[in-house]
Amino acid sequence: MTSAILDPTGGQRTAERVPLALAPRRQSLAQAKVGLLENGKQNARLFLEEVAAALRAQHGAGEALVRRKAVFTAPAPPELIDELSESCDVVVIGIGDCGSCSASAVADGILFERHGTPAAVICSEAFTVTADAMAEVQGVRGYRYLTTPHPVAGLTPEQVRQRAEAIAPAVAAMLTAARAQAA
Amino acid sequence: MAAEQSVAARGADTASGRAPAVAAPAEVDPRAARLAVEYCYERGWSDGLPVLPATREHVERFLAHTSRPPQEVLWRMEHLGRECTVEVAAINAAMAGCLPEYFPVVLAAFEAVMRDRAARGGGWQSTSGPAPLIVVNGPIRHRLGFNCTGGIFAAGFRANATVPRALGLIMRNAFGIVPHVLDQATQGIPGRFSICFGENEEESPWEPLAVETGLPEGTSAVSATLTRTFEFVDNRHTQDPEQLLWDFADTISRTGSLIFRTASAGLVLCPEHAQLLARAGLSKAAVKDWLVQHAGRSEADLRRAGKDAVSDEGPGVRSASPSPRAPADRLSPILTGPRDVPIIVAGARNAAISMVFRVFGEWSNSSVAIEEVDA
Repeated sequence: MTSAILDPTGGQRTAERVPLALAPRRQSLAQAKVGLLENGKQNARLFLEEVAAALRAQHGAGEALVRRKAVFTAPAPPELIDELSESCDVVVIGIGDCGSCSASAVADGILFERHGTPAAVICSEAFTVTADAMAEVQGVRGYRYLTTPHPVAGLTPEQVRQRAEAIAPAVAAMLTAARAQAA
Repeated sequence: MAAEQSVAARGADTASGRAPAVAAPAEVDPRAARLAVEYCYERGWSDGLPVLPATREHVERFLAHTSRPPQEVLWRMEHLGRECTVEVAAINAAMAGCLPEYFPVVLAAFEAVMRDRAARGGGWQSTSGPAPLIVVNGPIRHRLGFNCTGGIFAAGFRANATVPRALGLIMRNAFGIVPHVLDQATQGIPGRFSICFGENEEESPWEPLAVETGLPEGTSAVSATLTRTFEFVDNRHTQDPEQLLWDFADTISRTGSLIFRTASAGLVLCPEHAQLLARAGLSKAAVKDWLVQHAGRSEADLRRAGKDAVSDEGPGVRSASPSPRAPADRLSPILTGPRDVPIIVAGARNAAISMVFRVFGEWSNSSVAIEEVDA
């Protein structure tokens, strides 16, 4: 007598694959209100605030609105996505520098794009595999996000400022029409 | 009764000298057995050790031990878009090497660990690589052969080894949380997916954990949480309860495992330590209170380790303050509060050796009753 070997994965029940249509991009960030979704990880808020400062200085972006995710290990709750989408023109998300928070930062970026708000996610280089895996789980293989060298926690304020300045042009490109052309 | 005896015999160490309850099959096709195991490896379904390939007929026996329908969703990991049904859990339990009668314990253990908020979110993906701690109470310990005495953290007992392994396989296979991909453990906790034992209720001076957390006396139940760091406290040196408690407080107060303002840490007390404390008139609650009051580190120690500053927000992440913030001898309490100090009594009554463990998220202070169905 023989028997079939059963599959323990439940047939890989994954989210329905909905192709991601990126939110419409502005031509420039001039006067754009920038939402910052920070996850409470060490240096995350400072990093995003320095990015916002660089966007103001280099691209004429408007004021920034910072919001913290209560639980960094999970995607942001719908009310937080709604609030930032309604009050901001673009959103910067980060810093993904741990296993669960990098993955959830990518999930947040996808949520904002589906909500019609351009988003730029910043993860540390150490977590690209898990960030890519999360994008795939969300049905968006190849979702593009930005990386900064690892680690971010433990940097001095001056080092954080340098990192933020270095990544700001890529953030601006991702949030404007330049991203749409590059995608 | 005969059935119970046979299960107990199967659960016990073969060194007991009892005749095995399962007769050796007349013959086995070794090539087919090996190929079936290799097939599971090939599909990525193994945690590294051989799994028992699950067949319909075998999994049905697991499902007969629960009243829950096979297609019922046990848990949906919303952020990963993956879910695990009762049937998929049974397949993984079978592959882990569980006996069908362990399945209600696996289901209860799963529910118990999911009462820990960290387990419901991204805890399994964390760089911390936390390990579930699974504690079994009640008569089922003996009926299924859960080791409660010597070597509770060691190998050698099928029930202890396979129930946590089933949870690990569920995380891997049903939810797709695979090392190096969605599981980002930097190193992980030694013994991840192997920490499961019965409380030594017979030699504990206090009420069982399940009773302490609100279930009626004599209930078979599971309590679980995600943990980091198990560290032994060998104190055969004193009969003074306070000296012993100071020894625990020192281990609890390690700066290395301190991330936030305060932490949750528990004790797996050996019977000797528990009895010494009880003889001195201390209840479990009194031990918790003492530890909360006394476990602490000085400002100088915290500063030396770069953990003297505390964020005002949320749980208060620690960091290195640029300049001293408080007198060097000021003591900061380490434990969050008595509700966050789980105490379990387990191990052999042959030496005064206990274990301190660190709770990864938040101890739920609850137990889940194990369903008992006549299969």
